Amino acid sequence: MKDLNRLIRYLAYTLELLVLFMVQETPGLLPAVAGVRPVLLLPAAVAIAMFEEEVPALAFGIVAGLLCDFGFSRVLGFHALVLGALCFFVSLLVRTRMQANLVTAALNGAWALALTLGAQWLFFYYFRYSQPGFAFRSHYLPKYLYTLLFIPLLYLLNRGLSGALDPAEK
Amino acid sequence: MNEFLKGSSFKVLVIAVVVLLGLLIYTASAGGSLIASLLGFVSSPMQSVATEITGNVTEFLDIDGLTKGELKELVGSLQEENSALLDRLVEYDSVLRENQQLKTQLHISQEAPEIEMRSASVIGRDPNDVFYGFSINAGTLAGISTGDPVITSRGLVGIVVQASATTSKVNCLLSEDVEVSAISIDKQEVGVVRGSVTMASSGLLRLGFLSSETKLEPGDIITTSGRGSVYPPKLKIGQVQSIEKSETDVSRYAVLKPFEDLSEVREVQVITSFPGQGEDENVVELDPGQDNQEDAE
Repeated sequence: MKDLNRLIRYLAYTLELLVLFMVQETPGLLPAVAGVRPVLLLPAAVAIAMFEEEVPALAFGIVAGLLCDFGFSRVLGFHALVLGALCFFVSLLVRTRMQANLVTAALNGAWALALTLGAQWLFFYYFRYSQPGFAFRSHYLPKYLYTLLFIPLLYLLNRGLSGALDPAEK
Repeated sequence: MNEFLKGSSFKVLVIAVVVLLGLLIYTASAGGSLIASLLGFVSSPMQSVATEITGNVTEFLDIDGLTKGELKELVGSLQEENSALLDRLVEYDSVLRENQQLKTQLHISQEAPEIEMRSASVIGRDPNDVFYGFSINAGTLAGISTGDPVITSRGLVGIVVQASATTSKVNCLLSEDVEVSAISIDKQEVGVVRGSVTMASSGLLRLGFLSSETKLEPGDIITTSGRGSVYPPKLKIGQVQSIEKSETDVSRYAVLKPFEDLSEVREVQVITSFPGQGEDENVVELDPGQDNQEDAE
C-alpha cells in the first residue's frame, strides 16, 4: 500500500510537470505581463521538493530542469543540474531546519528562483549578448516576480497531492 | 555535517551532478540531437494539441477582437494604402510589359527560381527566451535542416537553429544571433539586419552598416539581398521607421518595423531549398558605406 501510494504520487508529480510544461510553452495560453511569461516548472519543482525526501526531490528537480532545457536551449543539462541540486537542498532544509508551510514555501521559492534565473542570466545572457543590465531589468526581473506569484498556488496543489497520497507513510 | 557527507543521499547527488555535467558537455559539443529528438517525440504531439485548443478558444472568445473605432481607423488606413498600391501597380504593369518586350527582342530567357517550402505551426514559445524564439512541429523527417530560413506570407521571421526528428527550434529575427544581409528595393542600399534586446522589447529591428550619407527614409521597404546565400533574395523584412546615428562610429542605422508581428506568429513556412543555397559560405563583412560607394561607381 505504501509503495503503491508512493508510485501514484510520483506519477502525479510527473504528470503535473508535463502539464505545466505544456502550459508554459503553449503560445497565447498564459498572458504576458510586461512582455514576459512565467516559468511554471521552477516553483513546481521547489514545491514538490518540500514534500519529498532528498533523492526523489533531486529526481523531480532533474525532470523539471530537463523539460526547461528542452524548451529553451540547445544545451541539455544546465537547468537539470541547477534545479536538481536546488531541490535536493530545499528538501534537506525542510526536513532538518524548517517546517513546510506557505511562508517557508515563499521563502524557499524566492531564493531558489533567484538562483536559477540569476544563473540563467549569467550563463545564457551575460557572456553572449549586449546590454545585460537592460535584459536583467526588462526581462529577468519581471519574469522572476511573475513566476513568484505561482508559488502559493503550486505549494497548495502539491500539499494536496502529498497529503492525499501518502497517509500510509506518515 | 560529516554524517550528511557520508550519507547515501549525498552520494546520489554527487553522481547526478557528474552525470548531468557529462550530458551538458556532450550536448554542448555534439548538439544532443538524439536526446532532443526523443524528448521531441514525447512532447511534440501534446504541444500541437495544446496549441490547437488554445487557438480555437482564443478565436471562439474573440479575445483579439477590435473595437468599432479601431476597425474604422484600420479600414481608413488600409484604403489609403490600397490607393497608393494601386498607383504603383499601374506603374509596375507598364514596366513589366516593357521588360518582357525587351527580353523577347534580346532573346533572354530566364528560368523560374525553384523554392521548396514546408508548412509548420508554432507549437512552443519558451518564456526563458529573451528574443522570442519558438519551436515548430516539423523537423528532419519533413526535410527541414539547420540553417533553413523561416517565413510567413508577410515576410522573413527567422532561421532554423536546431532540427530534431519531429520538431525544430527557430531563432527569431529579433535575436542578436541572427544577421541578415538586406537591401532597400528603392534605393539599392545594402546593410545588415540584426536584433538587439532593447529593440526586441518593442518588436523592432536594426539595419546597420549604412553610410553617413544614406538616402534611406521612413517608409522604404527592406528585403533580403541574397548575399551570403543563407537567405534567398527579395524576402520582405520590414519598413524603415527612422534613421539614427550609430553610437560607435560615423555610420548610421535604420530602425525597421517588421511586416510580421514576430512575437505572435503562429503559422510559418520553412524554405528547405532555394537556388544558390549555401554556395557562398563566407561571411560577408561590410564596411560602412562600402556597398553604397560601389553602387555609386
